[in-house]
Amino acid sequence: MNVELVMLLFPLALVAVIFQFMPLLTRPGVFFSATVDPQFPRSADGRRLLRSYRGQAALWAVLAIGLALLWLPRRPQLAILSPVLLLVAGTGLSYWLKFREVHARYGQPRREIRQTDLAPQSIGANFTAWLWLPPFVALGVTAVYLQLHWNQLPERFPVHWGADGLPNRWSSRNPLSVYGPVLMGAGMNLFLLALGWLLSRLSRNTVMRRVTVRILEVLLYPLTFSFVMVALLPFGLVVPVWLVPTIMLLFVAGLIYWSYRQITVPASADAVPEPQSDSYWKAGMFYYNPNDPAIFVAKRVGIGYTMNFASKWTWVVLALTLALIVGSIALGRPK
Amino acid sequence: MAGDLTLHVDLDSAVPAYRQIVDGLRILLVNGKLAPGSELPSVRRMALDLGVHFNTVAEAYRTLADEGWLDLRHGRSAMVVYRDAPDPTLRQMDEFRHRLRVLIAEMMAKGAPAAALQVEMRNAAEELES
Repeated sequence: MNVELVMLLFPLALVAVIFQFMPLLTRPGVFFSATVDPQFPRSADGRRLLRSYRGQAALWAVLAIGLALLWLPRRPQLAILSPVLLLVAGTGLSYWLKFREVHARYGQPRREIRQTDLAPQSIGANFTAWLWLPPFVALGVTAVYLQLHWNQLPERFPVHWGADGLPNRWSSRNPLSVYGPVLMGAGMNLFLLALGWLLSRLSRNTVMRRVTVRILEVLLYPLTFSFVMVALLPFGLVVPVWLVPTIMLLFVAGLIYWSYRQITVPASADAVPEPQSDSYWKAGMFYYNPNDPAIFVAKRVGIGYTMNFASKWTWVVLALTLALIVGSIALGRPK
Repeated sequence: MAGDLTLHVDLDSAVPAYRQIVDGLRILLVNGKLAPGSELPSVRRMALDLGVHFNTVAEAYRTLADEGWLDLRHGRSAMVVYRDAPDPTLRQMDEFRHRLRVLIAEMMAKGAPAAALQVEMRNAAEELES
């Protein structure tokens, strides 16, 4: 099996596995994004619905992998995009049909009771200095090491590698190429922390917010490790191709498991979580509430946040993101 | 600040959110859980947590400031200030009496005995005074 095939099938298989567990990655009292009795998912009907969804999701995964294998020898570009689209759209459709059934037949209305803590709160309290500080220290130590061993650096060294693991771009010894990985690592880390800060300002104080900020803090570690490895490569450090993806995968798997425990265990669930009523959740997935000033709202299923589509700021953010993507593609095209 | 300092709002209730915020905060102010010098959350933070419009919270803060409970200076958090208990006017006393009679009538209509109402009222007054 060649590297290209593995790189194509691995993400597909990973997404397919995540889709299998998605209905369970939710807070108590929510099933297929619909508000239900907390005991319902364990009932006979609940288990039947889950089995049916999983069967359909597995079928979409098989079809997507088949499509990828079909396109790979002829149109490699299509082999990447079209199977992912098929898998997401197909499983999304199955999920939506299950949401409709659960909402219509087993849904339960909930009163919208909200609460606020009147005790002083500080955004900084969401962050844990001993957790996010060490990656920056590691990058600083790396920069100092590079400075002290400047003369041992070769005049020319690889800075980019292909899927086959062989270098395909080189650079000469200059401050930008030597310190570039360290600076990029620091930039990425700051970006993740800024995301956490923004989230702390613009979302409600819930378990999901604490979980998400913690995930962002912990993600600094594999990212920093990757950038430190790249910064030290000019010294002849040999890093197996599989090492960084494996570490990332283990981190992500660990974070998903930890988040699952935090979000789904009733004892640690919010006393009053995010909006309860199904009427705010279009198709069970898209939050639309013109009366809610929150822009970021904890997702009903999975980890992280979605946006309030009734807020004009949501559309401003989406338009800017789209403009950034289109602009990057347009600028990146050869003239 | 001491004790439970959580404010609840039922968005499905017939009572407007503005009224619930004013009533909820006033209870905490009267019983001293929100003591002079305490800072309340910003309008933005409270509106975000409760899922109500910013103006709803701002209006509630203004009402309590008019009653003399809060100091709302521009660019600063709403702060609880010391307030001398005023003497209610005759008109205000009439209004309270009327509201109390309406409430008692509603409770009696739902079966609450007069003796139990007396106990409830005394407990509530003592709780707020302590």
